[in-house]
Amino acid sequence: MDPKGDIYYISQVLEGKVNTFSYLVDRHKDKAFNLAFRICGNREEAEEIAQDAFLKAYRSLKYFKMKSSFATWLYRIVYNTAISLVRSRKKGLLSIEEFPADVVDFLGFNKTEDEAADDYRNSLVNFALQKISEEERGLITLYYYNDLNTEEISKITGINKSNIKVRLFRARQKMAEIIRKVETKNIFCHE
Amino acid sequence: MNNQDQNDEDLLKRFINPERIEKAPEGFTSRTLARIRIDAQSARVKKGIFLKYRIPLISAIITAGLIIAAIIIPANETDSVGATLWKFFQSLEFSLPRINNTLLQDLNLPGWIAYAIVGILLLGLVDRTLFGIFKKENNP
Repeated sequence: MDPKGDIYYISQVLEGKVNTFSYLVDRHKDKAFNLAFRICGNREEAEEIAQDAFLKAYRSLKYFKMKSSFATWLYRIVYNTAISLVRSRKKGLLSIEEFPADVVDFLGFNKTEDEAADDYRNSLVNFALQKISEEERGLITLYYYNDLNTEEISKITGINKSNIKVRLFRARQKMAEIIRKVETKNIFCHE
Repeated sequence: MNNQDQNDEDLLKRFINPERIEKAPEGFTSRTLARIRIDAQSARVKKGIFLKYRIPLISAIITAGLIIAAIIIPANETDSVGATLWKFFQSLEFSLPRINNTLLQDLNLPGWIAYAIVGILLLGLVDRTLFGIFKKENNP
């Protein structure tokens, strides 16, 4: 693990060493990609969004005031890029029946039951995420996967702190309801 | 947090594994860097064109300014350039479409005031537009 902080690499890039930007990309690519993927629900689009976000960050690096961390600033770009893309394309919502059965379907070659259960849960979360609004997907991802507090989420999304709490509460409620419905459906299918 | 919300929270925590993030695909960094290098290259070319042609560009602007001044200032004018331009702007109401300033008539204000107000409003609009563009550049 490279002990140098983001600020060191940012100053190097600003001095004209373009290749140094690869350290920043390497360090933040997974969480940036994950945020884009959870919002748009598609790996190809998520890569496009994450790449666009890094490119925008590179172009605007001289304007980065260092008031927040580079990660927060980058997530803000990813979030805005992903939301704009999802809003520009209309996609039909999936119905509960479209979710691929249950944990048994995730059992594959060389997979333990625990791994299959983890895959099942992850798919179900992705499925539930696609059934809530793109903004709510962003909030859930930033809160649970990126482990950010409401203040940091507020900086990224531009939504005020109290509104974040309300929207998170609603998003959580919707997701839990979807997960419960799928789980209930699976129980009845096996009876 | 009430009971229902606590239940929802517990359920989501059971399903969402923060360690289980979707990782960027293989070769992501090199592809991103390739895009950045192309972008940096084209930005340098754009900057280069401006630097290369800055002298003819500046002379073209000065020449255009002199031509406009020659059109505005009559040949027999003996006043200074500033005074002539001031006269020209005072007589603008003859060359621009007449603004119906019935509201201003009672105030006994010069005719060019209406044009100045329109000008200020237009400059305000340009200012807001430029502010919007640069704000977007600061916060992409």
